[in-house]
Amino acid sequence: MDETRFKRIKDLPSTHILGTGTAMCAGCGGLEAVHEVYDILGEKTVFVNAAGCMTLLSIYPFTPFRGSWLYTAMASAPAGAQGIRDALDILLEKKRIPRDEDMDVVVLTGDGSAYGMGLSATSGAMERNLDFIYLCYDNEGYGNTGQQYSSATPHAARTSTSKGPKGFPGYKKDLFSIWVAHNPLYVATVLGAEPLDLARKIEKAKELKGPRLIIALSPCPTGWDFDPSESVEIGKLAVKTGIWPLKEYIDGKVVHTKVPDRRLPVEEYLKKQGRFAHLFSPKRNDKLIGEIQESVDKYWKGI
Amino acid sequence: MYRIRFHGRGGQGMKTASRILGTAFFLEGFEVQDAPRYGAERRGAPIFAYVRADREAINERGIIGRPDLVIVADESLVPIAAAGVMTGITGDTVILINSTVPPDLWQNRLNITGPILTLPMTTEVEDRLEARFIGALCAGAAVRLVDVISLKSLKAAIGRELEPLGPEIVKKNMEKALIAYNSMDGHAGCVKEGGGMKAEEYERPTWIDLPFDEAALSAPVIHGAATSELMKTGLWRTMRPLIDYDQCNRCWWLCSTFCPDGAIRINDEGYPEIDYEHCKGCMICLANCPPHAISAIPEEQAKGRSEGGKKS
Repeated sequence: MDETRFKRIKDLPSTHILGTGTAMCAGCGGLEAVHEVYDILGEKTVFVNAAGCMTLLSIYPFTPFRGSWLYTAMASAPAGAQGIRDALDILLEKKRIPRDEDMDVVVLTGDGSAYGMGLSATSGAMERNLDFIYLCYDNEGYGNTGQQYSSATPHAARTSTSKGPKGFPGYKKDLFSIWVAHNPLYVATVLGAEPLDLARKIEKAKELKGPRLIIALSPCPTGWDFDPSESVEIGKLAVKTGIWPLKEYIDGKVVHTKVPDRRLPVEEYLKKQGRFAHLFSPKRNDKLIGEIQESVDKYWKGI
Repeated sequence: MYRIRFHGRGGQGMKTASRILGTAFFLEGFEVQDAPRYGAERRGAPIFAYVRADREAINERGIIGRPDLVIVADESLVPIAAAGVMTGITGDTVILINSTVPPDLWQNRLNITGPILTLPMTTEVEDRLEARFIGALCAGAAVRLVDVISLKSLKAAIGRELEPLGPEIVKKNMEKALIAYNSMDGHAGCVKEGGGMKAEEYERPTWIDLPFDEAALSAPVIHGAATSELMKTGLWRTMRPLIDYDQCNRCWWLCSTFCPDGAIRINDEGYPEIDYEHCKGCMICLANCPPHAISAIPEEQAKGRSEGGKKS
């Protein structure tokens, strides 16, 4: 699809369909992305939610959604989506619901599930060519339980399970590439702080039929330790420094949708967050900062 | 057994206060439980943490129902029923409130005769969530009020609990805890241990028996859309964003798009309006408004200005 109805920011929806009053933290970057995505997908959407922060969106008898929501265990949201898709298909086939009442089935999970324990169910769903959208809000740790490290935690970040002067010793898993290796219909990275890029990608995904998987980097004031008002700025810095490449995979090709003209040094992004404070104080850790910069430079050199 | 509850907002360090106090009790040789309430704890949302300490093994479990000491870090929580500050208060419960309002006025307000103390901890900051060290202040005050913990143990507990934050932070917290400790000199030991509770005296909650029904009837199904709007998350806010409509240039509705909660709607004339019943006060709108048309004032000052977000 070449035509987008989102040519400029003014084309973005001015009314929002996700209800207010949720239990997400003030300044939640994940909720920002979810509400923007929901505006584009519209009300005919069923969410399948694996355990995580966003489970707290729907606490009986309250829900911010205008349609159905199913709660599954952490590892099995794509399996839940399969069940709903099948049920909808059967209802359509038996003409018990008209075509225009069909719904998009959307898996909504955090990075703990998407990068870690839900990965095999996702792999299976792609293998079966399940017609669904997967939206991962990636706040780079088990945020709902106090920011323990996950497979999405970046190198050197402090988490409640990775303290000390070096932070998390592991590396963030490249989930985009893992998903792409399954050759699904569509994969994209998005960011709530880049709403136009997000809207175009969701618009595109909505028109397709098959596995469509989206990762939204979700700046987390609580887990990353920054003031909630800086949520958008930190997200934008992730793009400007090249740490969070905005890209999509479609027709067998990876395309970068927003390439920073001149990448800012990674420390501009790192120093804004308490989880990286140990890289700057009491003594600047040039070695670790340099390593992070190097890995970002290497990535961009490779594209 | 000592039963102590700390009430505050997510981000104010109530969990830290309970950890410091719990560790200090432990270092004095007490058996200790300390825990924050687990669940929807969120920055700005009302939360509490509690400590039990006894010379003997503690068999009690769960949230403290009848506290001997209640410490309130954020006075705006007192009138909020959902925050549960007044739950289980008896005539013997000591209540310590972070407030500049004198204790007798609190007694009138709350219509109770039990002991109320105040400690003005946060006069120097506008936004209560920015009040640093409030957890240490609360713990320091609590230690003096029970008066069975030595200063040495208090200091050791702070050092132990805050060690990962670095020596600077530990030092500042110690100073603050000492200020609070000393300010309670006149009330040292006023908190007495509550008696043990017998299982026979346990008051059962009032259960509602639900008959067994088919899943179609009894499953927790929500038929309404966006019922979450009944939750007034505006209570989380400590600072209030205000839109100056003379400055607002109806840009690209950035504030409305970025607001994570969708608490800013665009009216028919294209101006944004803030829904104060749900705005959590994150200030993303303020930080991203291109013509800088949004400012913030402390929620206290905003009382009586409920129409502040409407274009008039």
